[in-house]
Amino acid sequence: MTESTFFLLAFILYALAAAFYFSHLFSNKENRARIGFSVALTGLLVHTLALILRTVESGHAPFTNMYESLSFLAWASILAFVIIEAKYKVKRPAGYLMLIVIALMALASSPLMPKETTPLVPALQSYWLWLHVSVTLIGEAFFAIAFITSIMYLAADAKERRGKAAKSALTAEKLDSISYRSIAIGFPLFTLGGLVFGMVWAYKAWGSYWSWDPKEVWSLITWFVFALYLHTRIVMGWKGRRSAAIAIIGFLAALFTYFGVNYLLAGLHSYA
Amino acid sequence: MKALLNFFTSVRVAITLLIILICASIVGTLIPQGRSTQEYLVRYGQLGALLERLQFTRLYQSFWFVGLLALFAVNIIVCTLERLFPKFRRTFQTKLETEPKNILALKIKDKFKVGLSAAETREMVKKELRRRRYRLREVRTDNRSCLTARKRVLGWFGSDVVHLGLLVILAGGIASGLGSFRQDLTFTEGRTLSVPGADFTVRLDQFVTEYYPNGSVKDWKSLLTVTEAGKPLFQKTVEVNSPLNHRGYVFYQSGYGSDWDHPSLEVWVKKKPDPSYLKKAWLKIGEKTALNGESLVLNAVRFIPDFVLDEKNQPASRSLEPNNPAAFIEGWIGTEKVFSGWIFARFPDFSRLHSGAKEADITLELKDVRAPSYSVIHVAKDPGVSLIWVGCVLLMVGLGLAFYWPPRELKIILEDSQGKTEVTAGGISVKAREAFQTEFESIINSLRIRK
Repeated sequence: MTESTFFLLAFILYALAAAFYFSHLFSNKENRARIGFSVALTGLLVHTLALILRTVESGHAPFTNMYESLSFLAWASILAFVIIEAKYKVKRPAGYLMLIVIALMALASSPLMPKETTPLVPALQSYWLWLHVSVTLIGEAFFAIAFITSIMYLAADAKERRGKAAKSALTAEKLDSISYRSIAIGFPLFTLGGLVFGMVWAYKAWGSYWSWDPKEVWSLITWFVFALYLHTRIVMGWKGRRSAAIAIIGFLAALFTYFGVNYLLAGLHSYA
Repeated sequence: MKALLNFFTSVRVAITLLIILICASIVGTLIPQGRSTQEYLVRYGQLGALLERLQFTRLYQSFWFVGLLALFAVNIIVCTLERLFPKFRRTFQTKLETEPKNILALKIKDKFKVGLSAAETREMVKKELRRRRYRLREVRTDNRSCLTARKRVLGWFGSDVVHLGLLVILAGGIASGLGSFRQDLTFTEGRTLSVPGADFTVRLDQFVTEYYPNGSVKDWKSLLTVTEAGKPLFQKTVEVNSPLNHRGYVFYQSGYGSDWDHPSLEVWVKKKPDPSYLKKAWLKIGEKTALNGESLVLNAVRFIPDFVLDEKNQPASRSLEPNNPAAFIEGWIGTEKVFSGWIFARFPDFSRLHSGAKEADITLELKDVRAPSYSVIHVAKDPGVSLIWVGCVLLMVGLGLAFYWPPRELKIILEDSQGKTEVTAGGISVKAREAFQTEFESIINSLRIRK
């Protein structure tokens, strides 16, 4: 079987997992969430195989163009959720996260994204490619989870304000806390991969650790937004709606750094 | 002074500065940076001049942006120091909790009785906590033992280490901004260049471009020799992602090209009356080349890689690519110029050599043109770099401490009550409440077994 078969299989498994999770969401049957989790985990394994095959086939890290890095981001998001679910025993955000994962996988499989493996341009021939991209994207995957739980928080909070009690044990307060935990895991990773490894690699490849290139500036902006989240929360005691809003903006900034900059702003960082 | 200090210790100011920095940075990515006045005029019209005056066109180096960063740095210093001393006090001069009701006000807490004497219970609690790598402090009153157990206290200082790291990075940025030296050195093979300000020279021994089977570039490799005081010191191949480092100067492979000012031209000489006549020669610009066994000397006066006639009908080059190579050749016998004219590699029929007003009976064909490739090496000396790496390490150590090394604190009071011992326990772990709760319950369970 080839890489694209495994990729497709993982895609199908994720869609199936999403179906189970959503059915859990509306029926509240614990069993369905458990099946959803197993299916998602199987999807993750199959996806891992696809990434390994891709690496073997191309002879380089599996994130050198948009197709590859979208696929990797989807993989990292599932990985991040598995960690959060195992740690905090929450199941309800999974369905929504699966929607993001499915969107990423669909975008990766769209005909707009060239899928053939191409040899590495000289600038990307470095082990920093592995370190810089993988750690950054795993950090962003945790931001994606915080994004989901923050939106769920806003919905749950609005409901609770109208006097309706939460249907499950996943109260607004718990969602708020999971957003914070996810950001607390993702922020150091994003700092390490995106900023520190990025600077080291830029210094090695371009001769300057910081060039105020649009991609660099946008990752700094993303970093500032999450720094704002952490300071308003830890020092000023903000919680709830304001925190959720900052977490949502932060993830959108990360998304713009990842996609938008490539298509809208020209710069040095013209790979993916 | 006091008011100023208060201003800077305020977290609101930090938040406001962060928001302004975010907005300013966004603006800087929307306006292209560092372009010409002309371009801004075309792009923004009248507004262009205003943007330039307000330094929006080189925003990240502007006085106001650097000023904002400086304010931010002062704010970080003041806020960090202000919180650091109370934190030290809390860590090293613990006031032990002696009131059970204060412990019961904590979020994580428990109260139960153990069927052991106070002394036995105390030893058991201590053993259990030491096993879990807690550090203990203890005071005893007549019927109470008050314990405080902590681990991972370094986590409290994570944010301070992060802030220190950021300040070091900013300092590195200042050092880079003020003391950096950068220059592009353009080498052809065999050429030696001196590095401005440095007492060594660098020679390019060899430059190769490697290709993948599909024709795209795989790598550029420049073999450089560093020479100091006339003696070759060492040799290294510089590639993208693999620079050469010597005495604080770093040499990067940054560009390449073909040097069409110094081409080699292969010319075939034919005679119209004699179809079997053919002589071949390689010519260089400005060098007279004698034709084998002939008195004729050829001189390539000028070469144009992409020949075109400009508005004034003068020969010019449209690009630096050899799309339409042309050479102006003179033929000499002794001190007499016997012919001259342009010859074209792509259009041999256009070649016309004139001897005075007549056409010469000799034809020249430009068969091949080659240019030596040159390598562009970016040389940089950046005094801020080591500070940046130190700052990055501090930043990451600090973040690791702050988010992955959350401190845990347990407060336990043991009270003697008729041969049994009443245990009141509570704990705080702001950043890892769930994990701490689990550990707390497991500690309590291990004590309760002896009930």
